[in-house]
Amino acid sequence: MRRKVVFLLLTVLAVFSLTGLAAEKKLTVISGWSGPEMDAFMPVLKEFEKETGIRVDYQIYRAEDLAVLLPAQFDSKTAPADVIFMWAWFINKQAQNGHVLEVTGALNESDFVPGVLDAVKSGGKLWGAPYTGKIKPGFWYRKSFFKQHGLAVPNTWEEFVDLCARIKKLPGVRAPIASGNGVGWPLSDVTEHFIATFGGPEMTRDLIAGKVKWTDPAVRAIFENRLAPLLKAGYFSEPIEWTMAADLWWAGDYALFFMGSWITGMVKDPADLGVFALPGARGLVFGTDYAFVPAYTKYPAEARKLLAHLATRGQTLQVAAGGHIATYTGAPLDVYPPVDREVAALLRGREALPDLDDTIGGEWQPAFWDQLKLLWVSPDRVGEVLDTLQRKAGK
Amino acid sequence: MRTLRGRALFFVPALALLAVFVVYPVVNTVWLSFFTSEGQFALLGNYGEVLSQPEMFDPRGFARGFPYGALVHNVMWIVIHLPLTAGLGLVLAVILREIRGGAIVKSIIFLGMVTPMVVGGVILRFLFDGNVGILPSLMSIVGIPRRTLTAYPDTALFSLILGSLWLWTPFSMILYSAGLETIPDYVYEAAVIDGASPMRAFFAITVPMLRPVTGVVITMTFLWVLKIFDIVYVATMGGPGGASNVLALQMYMYAFREFDANSAAVVATLLMLVALAVSIPTFRSVRGEQP
Repeated sequence: MRRKVVFLLLTVLAVFSLTGLAAEKKLTVISGWSGPEMDAFMPVLKEFEKETGIRVDYQIYRAEDLAVLLPAQFDSKTAPADVIFMWAWFINKQAQNGHVLEVTGALNESDFVPGVLDAVKSGGKLWGAPYTGKIKPGFWYRKSFFKQHGLAVPNTWEEFVDLCARIKKLPGVRAPIASGNGVGWPLSDVTEHFIATFGGPEMTRDLIAGKVKWTDPAVRAIFENRLAPLLKAGYFSEPIEWTMAADLWWAGDYALFFMGSWITGMVKDPADLGVFALPGARGLVFGTDYAFVPAYTKYPAEARKLLAHLATRGQTLQVAAGGHIATYTGAPLDVYPPVDREVAALLRGREALPDLDDTIGGEWQPAFWDQLKLLWVSPDRVGEVLDTLQRKAGK
Repeated sequence: MRTLRGRALFFVPALALLAVFVVYPVVNTVWLSFFTSEGQFALLGNYGEVLSQPEMFDPRGFARGFPYGALVHNVMWIVIHLPLTAGLGLVLAVILREIRGGAIVKSIIFLGMVTPMVVGGVILRFLFDGNVGILPSLMSIVGIPRRTLTAYPDTALFSLILGSLWLWTPFSMILYSAGLETIPDYVYEAAVIDGASPMRAFFAITVPMLRPVTGVVITMTFLWVLKIFDIVYVATMGGPGGASNVLALQMYMYAFREFDANSAAVVATLLMLVALAVSIPTFRSVRGEQP
């Protein structure tokens, strides 16, 4: 009798442990999205859980922190998550060191915007998947604010400068343009827009490739003749934490705000949003988010499946929430909110450019952010800023 | 002998831990600092290379203003922060000893000390923010235009130093408070009988008799300032344009941004040497004064 009881208990224990093990299979996803951006992303993961029965945990880490954390983890053959959103340059670099799971064949490459996979390809192999992209289209404004003050979207550089001058005189407005600051990337976005507008898409590409120096007279001219005069005139605010800047801009403390297309998912009334690029802009930055599977995942098959889901069906769900533009061509246009269609329209006739600092990466990226913070409050130090950027680029 | 051996056994775990987690990393760091990132022995070549970087020392700063380089910024931090925190701590300890409810006030001041430095850094960022900060608001009352003090090269470092006083002064205040309790009352009573004023008693009795405590305060504060990192990292990330960069942050940049362990080891070794040069004589002199 006692033997039977022991046998029964052992059987029950074995069944429970097996089911327990099965239930414990879960994947972890890391990205930098928090707040409203995270809320818009969670349904994408929920859909995967529903379809596969695999639990997915979500953790928030900024890319800047991951750049510090991941190399040490990878060196000890561990990974904090099964799918990680990260800069393309970082994914490629880690792939070269053998820390990234190859995902060639996990995606049908013809289903994506041409060229978007190139950033995570090396040696003819695919090391990551593209997620949605965000356009950095230009200056956002509230249509109601422009209407109230009789302002109009500028069609020339002179009109843009004039618009800033008019806004600066408005009572209650602290400065025409709110300068968002985080670790520094919002300032880099607006600077890249100036480079792409006045230097053309080719200057952006040449700076990325290192073919043009930051001290080149043509680059210097953009900083000295276009950006610095606006800064000196007080048309840009001092750097403000970017979510706070968004609130202040929405409240009317500032009239214009340079931000990526994700702003449409952050404001109370997206229908009140308008956006314009700098007059003459021939290219706009289209920054794609990329994800990869570390080589040290416990569940490589499931992680690849999740990566494929994110890159395809996940994109369709994400763009419907607003603020994102799909790189997956299978995402139907009618799922986009109207304001995002307007953003997408800005790309018409313009070249989609890679994000400059995200593409160069490395130690240059934080130096770029930090030097721009200096430029924003000390615009007369343009030469010094460009010299430092060139010194860092040459390392 | 057996007893001695038996006793020595108790030291083995601690010694083993020290060897693995202190001695080995220190020796390895110093060793690394003599090699280039390509693995070639460079003796002091790395030191020359690191010290010639503008991030470490930028002589142009003396003509133009901030940044001066992490090395100079650390010196400025020590020169400003150390006397202020030690002086303030002593004055607060003396005053709060005399007044009613002093213990409660001390507890409130001590909150700065128990605040994690990272949280302290975040608070400082908002404290000096032009839109929501208390200090810019107070400054605007007296006619100084509001601005984010940590965003400008000429005020970023000073703002952090000022903010760090709030976080570190409680340490010296508590140490001085404990030190004051060790001074016998009859010494002050004798001074009063001899006609000494409170100020005279402060400089002739309190200050000299607290000398060992002052030694500890100076040494600990010096070491804290020397390795200051978290506040700077969170509040300004060493910016703008490196205007608030410090040695520990530069070491972090070398190690985790540039993945240059050798240059990071150079900064770490320099920090260690300075720390040893200051702390060993101070602790020796303090020990020499003990009965």
